[in-house]
Amino acid sequence: MTQLENAIKGTVTPEMDTVAAREGVAPEVIRQGVAEGIIVIPRNIRRQNIVPTGIGTGLRTKVSASIGVYGHKGSIDIETAKIKAAVEAGTDAIMDLSVSGDIDAMRKESLSATSTPLGTLPMYQAVAEAAQKYGSSVKLEVEQLFEVIERQAADGIDFLALHAGTTMAIVEQAKKEGRVDPLVSYGGSHLIGWMLYNKQENPLFEHYDRVLEIARKYDVTISIADGMRPGCLADSLDGAQVQELVVIGELVRRAREAGVQIMVKGPGHVPLNQLKATVTLQKSLCKGAPYFVFGPIVTDIAAGYDHISAAIGGAITAWAGAEFICYVTASEHIGLPDIDQVREGVVASRIAAHAADIAKGLPGAADWDLELSRARKELDWDKQIELSVDPKRADYMRKTRSDDTVKGCAMCGKYCAMDVVSKYLGTSKVTC
Amino acid sequence: MTQLLAARAGKITPEMERVAAGENVDVELIRQGIASGKIVIPRNINRKEFNFCGIGEGLRIKVNALIGTSSNVDDLAMEERKLAFVEDAGCDAMMDLSTGGDIDGMRRLCLEKANIAVGCVPVYQAAIEAIEKRGAIVAMTADDMFAAVEKQAADGVDFMAIHSALNFDVIRRLQATGRVTDVVSRGGSFLTAWMLHNNRENPLYEQFDRLLEILKKYDVTLSLGDAIRPGSTADSLDAAQLQGLIVAGELVTRAQAAGVQVMVEGPGHVPMHHVEATMLLQKRLCNQAPYFILGTLATDVAPGYDHITSAIGGAIAGAAGADFLCYVTPAEHLGLPTEQDVKEGVMAARIAAHAADLARGNKRAWDRDLQMAKARVALDMEKQISLSLDPEKVKAALGAEDGQHHCAACGPEGECAAQVAARYFGIA
Repeated sequence: MTQLENAIKGTVTPEMDTVAAREGVAPEVIRQGVAEGIIVIPRNIRRQNIVPTGIGTGLRTKVSASIGVYGHKGSIDIETAKIKAAVEAGTDAIMDLSVSGDIDAMRKESLSATSTPLGTLPMYQAVAEAAQKYGSSVKLEVEQLFEVIERQAADGIDFLALHAGTTMAIVEQAKKEGRVDPLVSYGGSHLIGWMLYNKQENPLFEHYDRVLEIARKYDVTISIADGMRPGCLADSLDGAQVQELVVIGELVRRAREAGVQIMVKGPGHVPLNQLKATVTLQKSLCKGAPYFVFGPIVTDIAAGYDHISAAIGGAITAWAGAEFICYVTASEHIGLPDIDQVREGVVASRIAAHAADIAKGLPGAADWDLELSRARKELDWDKQIELSVDPKRADYMRKTRSDDTVKGCAMCGKYCAMDVVSKYLGTSKVTC
Repeated sequence: MTQLLAARAGKITPEMERVAAGENVDVELIRQGIASGKIVIPRNINRKEFNFCGIGEGLRIKVNALIGTSSNVDDLAMEERKLAFVEDAGCDAMMDLSTGGDIDGMRRLCLEKANIAVGCVPVYQAAIEAIEKRGAIVAMTADDMFAAVEKQAADGVDFMAIHSALNFDVIRRLQATGRVTDVVSRGGSFLTAWMLHNNRENPLYEQFDRLLEILKKYDVTLSLGDAIRPGSTADSLDAAQLQGLIVAGELVTRAQAAGVQVMVEGPGHVPMHHVEATMLLQKRLCNQAPYFILGTLATDVAPGYDHITSAIGGAIAGAAGADFLCYVTPAEHLGLPTEQDVKEGVMAARIAAHAADLARGNKRAWDRDLQMAKARVALDMEKQISLSLDPEKVKAALGAEDGQHHCAACGPEGECAAQVAARYFGIA
């Protein structure tokens, strides 16, 4: 029985208990959220050594990091090291988006390298295997696609990204409308090409009940991927994106009716003034299903710094109601991330998530800030570092940008504002 | 005659012409903006020819970098490298906040080498020299403060952060309500200590007309320093901050009446849901004067990444009406930034400013993003490099790319499905 089916029946599962304890809320709140479909707990019944994590309304905003073998330079060892770095940096979930090499072996490594929920995108492997087997990804057979989905589910993958809403009508809409960048999503592009070449409707849409059956069997959480996510600001909230969201809303309803947990994946490139509307639309059309957003990045021109652009968009989007942020690394648009960029990407997303939790008024979120600010006021460096979002980096920077000759820091040197003023205000043990 | 007085007299100055051309707007719009106090052009009449800019309503959001020596690190050569660097990195203005070593020398170096607007905080120099001459900051005299202002103005400084909006009403409010981090502005802390020690009102407030006279003489733009900005999200929009903003509003009116260009400095640590209200209050209380924002930092917990917390807050603030963003580097709260930190800080602030410009519907900003999107679709590497915020970084990463379609799954032979789709859309 899936978490959703249990919740509807009124059963509080051990997973719900764990999530409730981690979030500091009553298990009944979690059960109710899962029952309504506004909270998901991605946890495949076959998954080993996982710490159950809840994603959804009223919970701490979660962060996901994507890794994966891509091209001949990629290796399982390097990608496994990235998983470990992402987990150490505090990610709540991992997606293994391998598109080449020994994808099965990589997935098994990923499953054992982290105790967070793990997601994959089966279309990648299906495409790669079709290319190997028949020399071309357009020759992919529908049976083979479902075989890959089942294989990944049976391995214990907790959430599967599937482009089930990208229908032929939407592809035609995108062409009619003259999207600037109609092919953004790697999986979506291959799927669309397959549909066009074979003149067939999207099999994930056409055989959606079959998708649901597999998902229900293993309690895999479906993450509906969007083939029409905007790849540039100009395409944001265009007809194709909105039309796909309408279809996705329908898929959400069907999944819930089948007892399958589901969340919705989204943007992309979105101008800052459209972020809130984007979330409002998703929440309305998808009846409160958790929103898993990539970035969003708020400008097209920040290549090399897209983790910063994404932190801006992610913070505002999560504040507006998105519950799950997929990180963007500094190498987005210009290459593959190295370990440092993975780490930095995770921290940038965590900052965005936390800023949103404060703005949303999530109980307890602001306490962390208050504690650190008090330590700052008291110039308690050990405590400041310990409470930092990334203690290792804070410690390193403190050591390399200041020295021990001052109580404050080298920014103000001996003229530390807090130090100067405290004795007159009589407010402190002292200082910044 | 200051830009403000000229504008009010209906006169269009060469500065207004150039700002209008640079922003691609009608020069009359600039003149009206300056006349009403919504736009400033920081440009000291004694400053050499340089690339000045307009700051305020309807204009591209500008970015400011901070450099300068401290009592711990007074490496003039490093600061000189930072100076060249912030300009290359696309800053519109910079402030020299030196408090160590040869303060006069550093300032003159900035004014000489920089080709952008230069700002200073005269009370820093007055305070540091008071320690040398009189043994303590609190022994500084009012004349010391005004002498520093006059000296720096005569040198050609284009805008000055001066903490006039701090008076005993503000301090009493602070004492009455209590704060987590009290006063985090360095200039504000010097003056607070001075006022409490001497039990005297802030001379920069009390003798505000004297200050205005000096600024008017050189057409220095007054940047009202925010002595009481929140140093933690818990202190944001508290009574002390608002009291300071009310005082700032009064001073803005007086400065504008005297023909002195004025903008207002602000937060600090501000949770995201406070940002819009903060911008609205400032614009309302300060007669729509340009708002010069530090950050804003969306959370307190990210030392080492405060360029990112600031990019989040700065983008929202810019979209809500802030006109001028002061960068924050990753070294904030931890130490004096290195050159690399400065670079990260500038880039983060520029991203925030640009994101806000897009949100405000700035046509040039939208056009640049659209060109970038088209270059990406066309796999045009050269254009992607030239259109990006940091072309060198992108060039280093993309340089090896050949502009051909490669698919990691499909390999070089056989039909790639993504290519079929690309042909359908006419972008293969």
